[in-house]
Amino acid sequence: MTQRSLYIAWAVLVALSIGSTILSVSGIWTRWPIVAGMAVLVLAWQKARIILLQYLGLAEAPSWRWGIEFALALLCLLLLGLYLLPLIL
Amino acid sequence: MNDKSALEELPGELLMWILILSEVLVFGAGLIVFLSVRVTDPEGFAQAQDMLNRTGAGINTIILITSGFLAASACRLRRAHQRKKARLALVGAALLGGAFLWIKGAEFAAKSAAGIVWDTHPFFNFYFLLTGFHAAHVVAGVFLLLLVAWRDHQNNMEDATAFWHMVDLVWVLLFPVIYLLQ
Repeated sequence: MTQRSLYIAWAVLVALSIGSTILSVSGIWTRWPIVAGMAVLVLAWQKARIILLQYLGLAEAPSWRWGIEFALALLCLLLLGLYLLPLIL
Repeated sequence: MNDKSALEELPGELLMWILILSEVLVFGAGLIVFLSVRVTDPEGFAQAQDMLNRTGAGINTIILITSGFLAASACRLRRAHQRKKARLALVGAALLGGAFLWIKGAEFAAKSAAGIVWDTHPFFNFYFLLTGFHAAHVVAGVFLLLLVAWRDHQNNMEDATAFWHMVDLVWVLLFPVIYLLQ
């Protein structure tokens, strides 16, 4: 892992965090709550992936990477499903 | 051909990874229960959530992410035998951890001043439990970062910073679910 890749990871994480905070205070929730919820969770999933791959160095361990990424994706999908449940019922 | 075994390939200690994954599963289970209870009262949860300071939590996210960046940089510097810079990066990471706790403390104090406690609404059960438990991990992480800034053996530093990244990882999942999903 190079210092450059760490800087890029940090900049992307900051951009994604600002993006999700802006989404939370925007009017999108009243018009398209499903889209907004999906966007916020996708941003969170991407942030968690970057921390795992870059900060924790999982990008250099392909044997472990896919299993852990799969578990993380499942958790995020489950959270999304539970968020959407009251909206579609 | 890659002749590394899977265990050799894993960055850091296996036990540290067991801890990281266990913590993510514990907090993940908490979030699953939180959203499951929310299904029974989405309006009540939305009203309670509106009492939170989303911008403050967003600022705290950037603070923690930046602290994680400094911790990851410290490990890289230590591997390059730049011990003084590594120690400075760790102290910077710990100070940002302190800033996170200060903002979190102010947030809890504001809730208390507004008469909001853990049993005001089920939302606040989870809010205080999950973010409070996370804050306890931040306290432990700050202590570990300062400890390895003092005793800077490379393996210890990698374990402490891995713990800190776990704290970061948990927060990026807690933040959207507790503060943002409306």
